[in-house]
Amino acid sequence: MYTRFCAVLARLCLKLGVLGLMLLVLAVLYQVIGRYVLNDTPTWAESGAVLLVLYVTMLGMAVGVRDAGHIGLESLLVLAPDTVRLKMELLIHGLVTIFGFVMAYNCAVLAQSVWGYNIPTLGISEAFKYAPPAIAGGLIVLFSIEHIIALLNNNEVEPSWH
Amino acid sequence: MALTILCVSFTLLLLLGVPVAFSIGLSSLATLLFEDLPLAVGFQQMISGMNPFSFLAIPFFIFAGEIMMYGGIAEKIVDFAKSIVGHVRGGLGMSNVLACTLFGGVSGSPVADVSAMGAVLIPQMKKEGYDADYAVNVTTHASLVGALMPTSHNLIIFALAASGKVSIAALILAGIVPAIVLTLCNLAAAYAVAVKRGYPAGTFPGWAVVGHSFAQSLPGLLIVVIIIVGILSGAFTATESASVAVVWALFLAVMVYKKLTREQFLKAACKAVKSTGAVLLLIGISSMFGYLIGLYGVAELTGKMLADISATPWVIFLCVNVILFVLGTFLDMAATILICTPIFLPICQQMGMSTEQFGIVMLINCALGLNTPPVGTTQFVGCTIGEVSVGTVMKTIWPFYGGLIAALMLVTYVPAFSMWLPNLILK
Repeated sequence: MYTRFCAVLARLCLKLGVLGLMLLVLAVLYQVIGRYVLNDTPTWAESGAVLLVLYVTMLGMAVGVRDAGHIGLESLLVLAPDTVRLKMELLIHGLVTIFGFVMAYNCAVLAQSVWGYNIPTLGISEAFKYAPPAIAGGLIVLFSIEHIIALLNNNEVEPSWH
Repeated sequence: MALTILCVSFTLLLLLGVPVAFSIGLSSLATLLFEDLPLAVGFQQMISGMNPFSFLAIPFFIFAGEIMMYGGIAEKIVDFAKSIVGHVRGGLGMSNVLACTLFGGVSGSPVADVSAMGAVLIPQMKKEGYDADYAVNVTTHASLVGALMPTSHNLIIFALAASGKVSIAALILAGIVPAIVLTLCNLAAAYAVAVKRGYPAGTFPGWAVVGHSFAQSLPGLLIVVIIIVGILSGAFTATESASVAVVWALFLAVMVYKKLTREQFLKAACKAVKSTGAVLLLIGISSMFGYLIGLYGVAELTGKMLADISATPWVIFLCVNVILFVLGTFLDMAATILICTPIFLPICQQMGMSTEQFGIVMLINCALGLNTPPVGTTQFVGCTIGEVSVGTVMKTIWPFYGGLIAALMLVTYVPAFSMWLPNLILK
């Protein structure tokens, strides 16, 4: 049940990430078209793209935690005997969970603290800059717990998109 | 004490197998806690480190590379390379080097290069009697040139890690001659081994075939021209030219080569989103780490340590090369660039090395690391495709390593290799 929920969530994140990536390409292209064709460079395109890339990054990063997309040094893990390896893997996912929680909490606090200030060229709150890492932190916690449960049940987490 | 906590916790977490980005993040947070600083400071650094507009070139280059991988350009480039050098002794090996170099220019990623070219050429080489270890070594080494090409997102990462001390246009130009040198060294190594092992030569197909295959691969190769001309003429910024490269890659894959299915497009986009997440997180978190490194004067401390060893530039450059190479064998390319640039760039600059030259030296070292265990990503991909063990490949790697090291030494000690073209065009 929990795994199915995480799988659906991860696929949704990826779909949103792909949509974000398309919008990013379009925003930057529109900037070029605006400058050379319309003779009117849109001021929102650059800052909008910089904000949007945060969302794409954070969604991709969170799904990367679920799909083992982050590169690490696995030499000791590979060499360790099975029982030790299980404990090491549990510890790794535990540490990543802690990081996710700390990131979610602190970025939520930062978002709250800048709520009243606007991004000049976009006219929206600065909090939108800190919302993606806060959400991604929460997702990291969920996905890391999924890995811990899978390890304890002697299972593996299936990547959301092959 | 705080610096010890930062370095020791980072090393321990890395050895434990915690992903590099999280190792950096957790060790930075532990240091902030020890210093009684608010943890939010670290995350503020992380977000502000992910803010520059030029960052956007990274997801675009990754995405364009993914589309090119599925889009049918690989086969056209292989045909073109075979028509030019296929008749030389060890022709398929030589074609492999040339094809990987050309595709590296299109994708800018050694891993994408070895995946696309390796999938086509390694099985073909094995079928025609070439040893698997030779086929893998030729492909994995030739693919490293992609890291120096104008489409390389690692060039952008270096430009960002150098904190705006270098223009992306100068860096792109600085990589071109070293990329040619690296290719020539790879061709020499592939030829020498082919002669020693008695691999056959093919037959020259005639200039008409060369011309036809060139015309077929030209639209794909134009991507490099779009980027270089776009940036140098001032028509586009690096980010804008990267977005144009995405659209061009999509146009070719869908309209010209007609190879990209909807499923493959989604796969390419998903891979690009995940890679973007991994790379940009690393960049953001490295800003947190960089903040602490700056706070504790790590660059100055390392500079003093190296000065105690020697005051001679060539010795210092050798030490820096050895350190970068060793770190490159353990760490991912982006991580090595982001961690080491703020530390070693000021030292090398003091010794007379330019930022562009240092960037290229750094990238070649990282590329060497991609082909060396324990974290040799391109080597793993190549070995998987070639169905051969890393151990077997390592036994016969030396001529190829020799070629790469020769190229690295030339770029390190002869500034003209990297600086001639930027000086000629930009000054």
